[in-house]
This record gives sequence, structure tokens and C-alpha cells, in this order.
Amino acid sequence: MTDAHNPAASEGQDRRQFLGKASRAAMIAGLAGGYGGFAAISLRYLYPTGTDDRLWLFVTETSRVRVGESIRYRGPSGETINITRQARNGDADDFIALSSTCPHLGCQVRWEAQNNRFHCPCHNGVFDPSGVAIGGPPGDAGQQLSRYELKVESGLLSIAVPPNRLAGADQKGEILAADDETSGPGHDPCLSCQQIHDSRMARSEDPRSANRSRST
Amino acid sequence: MNAVSRWIGERLPVSGRQFKELTNEPVPYHLKRWWFALGGTPAYLFIVQIFTGILLAFYYEAAPATAYRSVELITNEVAFGWFIRSVHKWAATLMIAAVILHQIRVFFTGAYRRPREINWFIGMCLLMCTLLTGFTGYSLVFEQLSFWGATVGANIADTTPLIGPFLKNMMLAGSSYNEATLSRFFILHAAVLPVTIVMLIAVHITVIRLQGVTEFRFKDEEGGTPKTFNFFPDHLYTELIIGLILMILLSALATIFPATMGPQANPLQTPEVIKPEWFFYVAFRWLKLFGGTFAILSMGFIIFTMFTWPFIDNWLRKHTKFQEASVWVGVVGALTVISLTVWEAVARH
Repeated sequence: MTDAHNPAASEGQDRRQFLGKASRAAMIAGLAGGYGGFAAISLRYLYPTGTDDRLWLFVTETSRVRVGESIRYRGPSGETINITRQARNGDADDFIALSSTCPHLGCQVRWEAQNNRFHCPCHNGVFDPSGVAIGGPPGDAGQQLSRYELKVESGLLSIAVPPNRLAGADQKGEILAADDETSGPGHDPCLSCQQIHDSRMARSEDPRSANRSRST
Repeated sequence: MNAVSRWIGERLPVSGRQFKELTNEPVPYHLKRWWFALGGTPAYLFIVQIFTGILLAFYYEAAPATAYRSVELITNEVAFGWFIRSVHKWAATLMIAAVILHQIRVFFTGAYRRPREINWFIGMCLLMCTLLTGFTGYSLVFEQLSFWGATVGANIADTTPLIGPFLKNMMLAGSSYNEATLSRFFILHAAVLPVTIVMLIAVHITVIRLQGVTEFRFKDEEGGTPKTFNFFPDHLYTELIIGLILMILLSALATIFPATMGPQANPLQTPEVIKPEWFFYVAFRWLKLFGGTFAILSMGFIIFTMFTWPFIDNWLRKHTKFQEASVWVGVVGALTVISLTVWEAVARH
């Protein structure tokens, strides 16, 4: 029985109410802190750990690339890279390694030594020797070719490329022949379409293939 | 606010009030005593296990060539991986301990007696599943001890009369530990056993709800003590507090005693001392004491007796003068388990 006129009783009730509220608040804070902390830990656990996700691979001897010359290199994940020699000081700064994939629509850019530029045949994208776009759609969009780190040790040129995590232990790159129209990531979709188109045209002009297609 | 609740109410015609009334069963007053809330503890820890287990499965690879490396990656490289793995390991230990304590409480209070025999049976199934989950989980790390533990476990199963070789083949996916064994353990540990446990818990709780919790009165209770209290919010608060305490305990244990890595499994080199996890110490010591087929058969007999104890107890109480036989059987059983466990823990061989 509570007595409204009894100050001691009402004080006791106030205290009980306050304690009730305080314990409820402590409970909510504890639950939010404890489980919220655990949820935060779980999210951080799931987020990939930021390890150095690069692999140093040997490319070639520096003496085999002349100034102004470019080699095409394919990393273990299939990306193609133009490695161009621009000076003869004997260190890594002589070289520049740029992705051969045009940032516009993914065609393959080529080094043109005579023009001292990279050129994309699809939409006439032009890049200066440092990979910055200076003409065509990538130039308008202010894009640039992505760059890879290089190092030279005892006359041996190495490149830092992303490893192929799906290939198992065998991680290697290769130097491509100058006329190798490569496939894989960053292949040239426009040129491929052009080639298919050309071959179809050639077949339709060929009377033997026309006969064959009629008979089937 | 009203508009929001009306919008939700139209699309999800579930009444919170009705749901509360439906589930708000009166809880016997003795559940205010903490040790009677032990049944909720393994259930809570099981949720922790599911959560941390799913997290671990993001990185774990169940193949002999990669399993150890993936656990090492979790422990040493992934952010908070050591913590998640340690919580998983400690929650397993606490879960098994809580299941055993819950069972001891149910046993000594006679809460398994008519009409609750079936729920005791389901509880025994839950105990077996929990132990099996512990065994398969221990094997996944692919350490020396977990590899040899699994090998010894399979060889023990092999000595079972008639079905031994079949059991061993089913366990190891072949006549000996091979590249398919780990994935078998993994599927058992991460899919088959947890799903079975979830279903058993659902039946266990449904039966409790249907029959109501056994009511106890205590001599020290005051005269006006009510018979029951509300599930919402009183009992829910109790469970929440237990959950918080367990969380603090798990975090502390995981931080102070984190899970470590033993040497990688080497099928060509048997370790000098092979020990299973602590909850199998009793079975391991029993095997060492009696050996071979007798040990297997006697263990099978003991487990069978545990499953059917409510009926045996009923028969003893009806047809003999041993009305309190269960207490003595329980005391002897508990002491045997404790002493064999301690013996195995301190003995080198």
C-alpha cells in the first residue's frame, strides 16, 4: 500500500523507478556495446586483410631493350603491359610499365616509337609516354593508363604485378611477340568484332562458301 | 508514427500483442534461481557457435593440403581471426560443459520422469550430437593431435562388433584417413550436425512448452511466493543477462587463453602422447582400462542405459524398494566420469 501523503513512501517509489530505468538503460547499453562490438569485429574480420597483394616477377635483361623500344608483357593474371625504355641510365627509371588496356573501352593500346606515343586503334585514343591521355575519348575524359612498378637489380628488370590467386603455385609472366593479338582480360573487343566482320565479309564474297551455306 | 505502424500492419498482419500473449507462458517461480536457467545457456552458446562458425567457414578450406594453412591464416593473418577462432573454441567447451550441467540438474531433480521421458530422450540425442560436433570440429584443424585423434576415433569405431568396419569406412570415407576425410568431417560439423541440433532443439523446446516446466517448491521460500512469473519480460531479462555474462566470459577466455596451433598433421609420425579434447577423456580412459571390444560394448551399454533411464527408473520405483536409486546411480556415475576425466588429464599415457 502506498501512501501519497507519506514522503518516505513516495521517495522510495521514486528511487525504485529511477533504479528500474537506470538498470534498463544499463542493460540496453551493455547489449548494444557487447553485441555491437562483436558485430564490428565480425565485419572487420570479413573484410580482406590489406596485405601487399603484389608479386615481383623477372621480365628481361635491361640490355635487351633499346631506348625507344617497347616490349609487351603478360602477367600471371592475364593483364598485358607495355614496358617501354625511355632512357639509358641503367636503373628502373629508364623504363615505364603501363597497362596496354585502354581505360576508355578496354581495347589494346600500342607503343608507336616514331610518334613517341601510345595509340589505341579503336577510337583513336592517344597517350603520351607517361600514359596520360592527350587525345581521343580518353583524353576528353582525362584518363590515363594504369602504371606498374619496376625495379632493376644487377641488370635484371622485374615488375610488380597482381598474383593470380586461382592458378595455384605456378605464378609466371611472359613476353609476348610483337604481333601477338592477345586474348584474356583487356583484349581488344573492337578489333575482334572487326576481325569477325572481315572474315564474314570474306566468306560471303567467296563463291565456294556461298554454295556451302546454301546447301546447308 | 501511427501511419508507419498502420503501413507495416497492413503488409505484415502480425499483432505484437497477440504474439506476446501466445508465447507469454507462465514460468515456474523456481526459474528465478540461476542454476535452473542452465538449459538456455547451451542454446545461447549454440547461436554463438553458428555465428562464429559461419565466419570461420569464410576462410577455412577443408582439404588436407590447405586445411592447416587456412586455420593458420585465420589465426595469424586475418583481422580478429584469432578472436573469432578462440571464441568458437571456448564456446564449444562451455557449451559441452553447460549441456552436461543441465543434464545433471535435470537428472538429480528427477525432471525426466513421467510424462517427460521423451524430452529426456531428445536431450540425450542433443548431448550425442554436441559431442560429435566437438569431435568433428577438433579434427578440422589438421594438427598432429586432431589428425591422430580422428584416426584413433575411427579405429575405436572399427572395433565395434559387426558394424565396425562399416562405421570406420563411413567416418573416414575409406579404409584409412585420405583426402576425402576432411571434407566429410567438415560437412558433418558445419551442416549435418548443426541442422540436426536445430531440429532437436525445436522439438525439445516445443515439448517443454506443451508440458510446461516441472514445478519445484523450496523450503526456504516465503509464504507469499507466487507460483509463476511472466516469460516476458522477466524470464527474457534473465536470459539476456546470462547472454551478456557469457559474452564477457567468452571474450575474456578468448583473449587470455587464445586458441593456438600445434604442429601440422604428419601421417608418418605418431605423436608420443595422443589426447582427445577434454570431453572425451572419460571415454579414452575407459578404453585404456578395458580395451577392445569389451570397452566399446560396455560404453554402448552405458549410453543405452542413459537413453532409457526414465523407464528403468520408473520400473525400479514401481517394482523395488529402491525409491531413490536414481540419486545413487547419478552420484556414482558423476563421480566415475569426474575421476576418469581427471585421471586422463593428469596421466601422461
